[in-house]
Amino acid sequence: MLKVIAACGSGMGSSQLIKMKLEKVFKKLNIESSIYHTNVGDAKSQAQNYDVVVCSESLVSVFANVGKNVKVIGLKNLLSEKEITEKVEAALK
Amino acid sequence: MEILMSVWQFFQDNILTRPQFFIGFIVFIGYLLLRRPVYDAIAGFIKAVVGYMILNVAAGGLVGNFRPVLAGLKDRFNLSAAVIDPYFGQTAAQAAIEHIGRSFSMMMIVLLIAFFINILLVLFRRYTKVRTLFITGHVMVQQSSTALWMVIFCFPQLQNLGVVCMLGVLLGTYWAVASNLTVEPCQKLTDGGGFAIGHQQMAGIWITSKIAKKLGNKENSLDNLKLPGFLSIFNENVVATGILMFIFFGIIISILGPDLMHHIDKGFSPKQNFLFYILEKSLNFAVYLTILQLGVRMFVSELTNSFQGISNKILPGSMPAVDCAATYGFGHPNAVTFGFLFGAFGQFLAIIGLILFHSPILIISGFVPLFFDNATFAVFANRLGGIRAAAIIPFFSGIIQVLGGGFAAYYFATGQFGGWHGNFDWDSLCPIIGVIMHNIQYIGVFIVVILLLLIPQIIYYKNKDTYFLIAEDYDKYKEVIAKKQGKSVDDVIIE
Repeated sequence: MLKVIAACGSGMGSSQLIKMKLEKVFKKLNIESSIYHTNVGDAKSQAQNYDVVVCSESLVSVFANVGKNVKVIGLKNLLSEKEITEKVEAALK
Repeated sequence: MEILMSVWQFFQDNILTRPQFFIGFIVFIGYLLLRRPVYDAIAGFIKAVVGYMILNVAAGGLVGNFRPVLAGLKDRFNLSAAVIDPYFGQTAAQAAIEHIGRSFSMMMIVLLIAFFINILLVLFRRYTKVRTLFITGHVMVQQSSTALWMVIFCFPQLQNLGVVCMLGVLLGTYWAVASNLTVEPCQKLTDGGGFAIGHQQMAGIWITSKIAKKLGNKENSLDNLKLPGFLSIFNENVVATGILMFIFFGIIISILGPDLMHHIDKGFSPKQNFLFYILEKSLNFAVYLTILQLGVRMFVSELTNSFQGISNKILPGSMPAVDCAATYGFGHPNAVTFGFLFGAFGQFLAIIGLILFHSPILIISGFVPLFFDNATFAVFANRLGGIRAAAIIPFFSGIIQVLGGGFAAYYFATGQFGGWHGNFDWDSLCPIIGVIMHNIQYIGVFIVVILLLLIPQIIYYKNKDTYFLIAEDYDKYKEVIAKKQGKSVDDVIIE
C-alpha cells in the first residue's frame, strides 16, 4: 500500500484535484494506494510518515528537508493525467 | 391531511431547519442515486453531518472571539469592522441569516440549483456559448452563503422557495459566465492545460489578461528576481493568518486599551498580561479558521468528487473550472509571493485611507483574498507584462478589495457580524449586482441575468472560428492561429 499526501496552499481545492487525478492514475497503473489531501503546513509535518508527496511545482521547495525516503513530486499541470503518470512512474522506479 | 401536516412539520423541525442533517441526507441520497453501495452512502452521510457540525463549532468560535473587539470598537469609536475573507464572510452571512430567523439550509439548495443551472448552460452551449462547469466545492459553499444573505437582505419579504429559485438562477449564471471568461487566459498561460478557473476572481483574471500587456514588458519578468527568504513563511496558511491577525488585532486591541477590554471581555482575566492576551486573541482566529477549514473540507470533498464525475461526463468540449491555485505551477514561484506582497501594500494603504477619511467601517485583511487573488493576478500579469504588471495589478487589486469589501460589508450590514467575503469579484462585480438588486428589485435581477448571458455571446461573435476549438482541441486551435499568422505551428505567437 503506497501512502500518499496531496498538498496545496489551503488544503481545499487543488489538493483535492490532485487526489482525484492520482486515484485515477494509480488505478490505471495497478498501484494500491491511500491518499490524504491537506495544506502544505500539515503535509510538511506529516511527510515523514508517507511514501510520496504530490503538490504544485511552486510548493516543492517547502519539502526540501523531508528526508530521502519520501519522494516529492512537483506538478506543473495538476489536471494532466499524462504528466502525473509520467512523474509517478519515474518516481517509483 | 392531519398526518401529512404532522409529517411535514416533523421534516421541517428536524431536517429542513437543521442544515447538518439536511446536507447529510442530500449526500446520502446523492450516493444512492449514483449507485454507490449503501455503506458508502452511510459513510458520506456521517462525514457530511460531522463536517457541518465542526464548521458550526468554528463559526461560533470565530464570532465569539470577535465579539468583544467589535463591541469595543462600537463603544469607543462607533465603528463596525469586517475581516475580508471568504471564511469570515461565510460565517458572517450565516450569523446574519440566523439572526433574522431564516434557515441556513437554503444555502445548500441554492448551491445545487446553481450547479444545475450551470450544467444546463453548458449542455446547451451551442446556444449559450458557455464552455465551463464550476466544480470548486468549497468556493461554491462560500459564495452560496454570502449570496443567500444578499438576496434575503434585498428581498426580506420573499419566501424561501422564491429565494432559492431566484438566487440559484442568478448564481449559476454567474458561475458559468465568469468562469467562461477565463478560458482564453488560462489556455494561453498553460499552453492548453484544459482547465479554466472557477474561484473568486474570474472577472479580475479577465481584466488582468486585457491590461497586463499594456502595463509592462514580459521580457522583463520577475523570474530572475531574488526575494528575501523570510517571505516563504507566508506559504503556510496558519502562520500567515496568525501573523496577519496579530498585526491587526494587536493594533486595534492596543488602541482600545486594557481597561476597556477588561470591562468588555470576561475572558480577559485580571492576572493575564495584556500582550499575551492580545497574542491569544489573535491566534484564536487561526485556531477557528483551521477548524472551519477542516469542517468544510470534510463535507465538501464528497461534493467535489461527484461534481468532478459529472464534469467528466459532459466533456469533451467543455472544461472544468477549478481552484485558482491550479495556475501556480505555470508561473514562477516568485510571482505568487510577489502578488501577495503588492496586494498587501495596496490593502494596507487603502485601510489607512479608510481610517483617515473616517469610514464608518474598519477593514481587516484576511489571508485568502490577499494571497490567492493577488498571487493569481501576478502569475497571469508576469507572463503577459513582466514584473511591472505583476506589481501594479495586485497593488490596485488590494485597494479595490479593501474599498469594495468595506462598501459591501457596510451596505449589506455584515459588518455587524465581523466579516465580508472579500475576494476580488465579491468586492467589485457582486456588490454592484447586489446594489442593482436592492434598488430595482426583480427587474434588476432580470437585467443582471440577461447582461451576464450576453457576455459569452459577445466573445463568441468576436472569434467565431476558434471560440469552441480552444476548449475542444488546443493543438488544432494553434494550427488555425498559425495559418492566420502565416507561421509554422512551433513559432506561433498566441496573444
